[in-house]
Amino acid sequence: MRFISLALKNLFRRPVRTALTIAGVALAVAVAVSLAGFNLGYQQAIERSIDRLGFQVMIMAKGCPYEAATMMLKGGTGLLYLPADTFAQVHSDPEILSITPIFIGIAEKQGSSIREDSSSAFAVLTGVEPKTFLEMKPWLEFQSGTGFDGGKWFSPDATDEVVMGYEAATYEQRKVGDKFLATVSPYGQAEPVSKEFKIVGVLKRTGTQDDGTVFLPIKTAQAFFNRPNQLTILGIKLKDFSGGNLQEFESRWIKLPEVQVVSLEQVKSTLVMLIGTAQVMIVAVTVIAILVAIIGVINTILMSVYERTGEIGVMKALGAFRGDVFQLIWIETLGVCLAGSIAGGVIALGGAHLTEKAIKAVIDIGIQGSIVTITWPVLLGAFAGAAVVGFFAGLYPAWRAASMLPVDAIREGIG
Amino acid sequence: MTSNSILIEARGIKRHYLRGSETVKAVDGIDLEIHAAEMVSILGPSGSGKTTLIHLLSCLDSPTEGSLSINGKPVAGLKEDELTKVRRGVLGFVFQKFYLLPTLSVAENVELPLLFYRQPVRREETMAVLRQVNLEDHARFMPNQLSGGQMQRVAIARALIIKPKILIADEPTGNLDTENGIAVFDLFRALVREQGISVIVTSHNLVFGYRADRIITLADGRIVREEKGPAAA
Ligand SMILES: Nc1ncnc2c1ncn2[C@@H]1O[C@H](COP(=O)(O)OP(=O)(O)O)[C@@H](O)[C@H]1O
Ligand SMILES: [Mg+2]
Repeated sequence: MRFISLALKNLFRRPVRTALTIAGVALAVAVAVSLAGFNLGYQQAIERSIDRLGFQVMIMAKGCPYEAATMMLKGGTGLLYLPADTFAQVHSDPEILSITPIFIGIAEKQGSSIREDSSSAFAVLTGVEPKTFLEMKPWLEFQSGTGFDGGKWFSPDATDEVVMGYEAATYEQRKVGDKFLATVSPYGQAEPVSKEFKIVGVLKRTGTQDDGTVFLPIKTAQAFFNRPNQLTILGIKLKDFSGGNLQEFESRWIKLPEVQVVSLEQVKSTLVMLIGTAQVMIVAVTVIAILVAIIGVINTILMSVYERTGEIGVMKALGAFRGDVFQLIWIETLGVCLAGSIAGGVIALGGAHLTEKAIKAVIDIGIQGSIVTITWPVLLGAFAGAAVVGFFAGLYPAWRAASMLPVDAIREGIG
Repeated sequence: MTSNSILIEARGIKRHYLRGSETVKAVDGIDLEIHAAEMVSILGPSGSGKTTLIHLLSCLDSPTEGSLSINGKPVAGLKEDELTKVRRGVLGFVFQKFYLLPTLSVAENVELPLLFYRQPVRREETMAVLRQVNLEDHARFMPNQLSGGQMQRVAIARALIIKPKILIADEPTGNLDTENGIAVFDLFRALVREQGISVIVTSHNLVFGYRADRIITLADGRIVREEKGPAAA
């Protein structure tokens, strides 16, 4: 027999108490691992999401650039428009590698909807110019297979053709050749207007906001929404995308009334900072959970030490040195912490999806894909952290046990 | 008997406790020698100082006055771990409340001291001591499957596994009925006879207490009577 097996057997004497203590540790570890995973994940996720917009600079109507960026990512609410002639003014700038005008409008919820969750309460209609849009997003491909074959982009002046993103098509249960009925409230008109489109292509899943979008020719979109001379965004790729060059470009066009130039790098750092603020709260919760767990562990081990006062005295009488008793209690503490950290790691892994949902519910910035990345280093770190915590949490109970005088212990035990 | 057969030698040992403003003279000046291969029983009413005395004799506790040597080594002023070193390999203990670890089997309980002695476990030896206490067929039992008498015999086997020179037993029969109590004392006598172990045992029960070589009676922390027992040669 070894000290380890003796210590572990002791833990099974009070299975419920031990389990509760381990659960406390597991909870703290799960929170800590999720937090660390979030820390690792969200920055990448933001960068991934923004990189997948395809352009580096946006020109958009004046307003909060952060709001503008999230609006772009969510393809959602609070749309502002800029004059369409901005495109004509800007597009000949010598620094521009490519530029694409985008018009975004929101269609009302479709009657055929199956799911009722709020994120699908509206359909995003995005008017694009296929040729320049694809220069920004060369990765867009059409879905193939039964019902999807033959997908293609609409011609720029088609008035009744749309291309659907993967999720939009799945959600509406549409395939290539099907009809798509959209209802919108055109600008300045009291009555909503409906229009039937033909679906000419369904895109493959991209993991971005494009999946939930319905694309149509920009002119058709402008007409449909009765905003023939307006745009939502100009997406721009520069020839040389370095800080100085960008600033020059920005100062050249910031003069235009009603518009702002937003670099996506800027948006990235704004979003990272924004989440960083929210993180302070999460860190506080984690710290509290860890403290509670540590107190729980110390309390449990101390209780079990006091319960075993007589037994510890007898062990000493049987020849155990102070160090032996210390070691025994200490191993028990470490055992609880390590078991808790393993359980916590498993919980965090299993619950990553839920964590993700919870975080997105609190701070919805429209980021697509996973923002919680739990990696091996994170899990090993949690394990090591629990070991360190166990190391220190065990010191006091172990010292108390080691310091019990055999006589007092035995007498007390006899009561 | 020669002087080098003296295992424990106490000269004028006292152990006083402070209880509030009052001094409790639990042991109040005792001279005592324990020789090899003898069975000494310490009798006396409850509170007469039996437990305190044998805790002193086994250096689980230190006297407030007087000198004490174990196996020829003076123990005055030693620290706890140093006292443990003196005890190790010399003293085996049995307590009234058995103190078997409930999570360990009978055999594992018996082997527990070997863990602290950093000695390898040899099952034949475990079985040998279990045979001495007549429990070899209970090696795999858990403590809660045993009767009180059986538990006390496991505790004795646990004390024997390290081959002590002296076995110290404080009220080992306190939780046992007469039949089991007699069995324990007979077992002690057999150990003294057959293996030359010395046994110091306390009891407040005269039925068992007189089954020894030497009977020492305490009252108020002093020896009031010392006599040879019927078992003495
Ligand atoms: N730790 C202690 N503090 C104060 N008094 C004690 C302590 N231990 C024992 N005593 C007292 O010492 C006396 C002898 O006790 P003890 O040795 O246990 O006697 P016995 O074992 O014969 O019943 C009793 O009066 C008891 O109350
Ligand atoms: Mg007593």
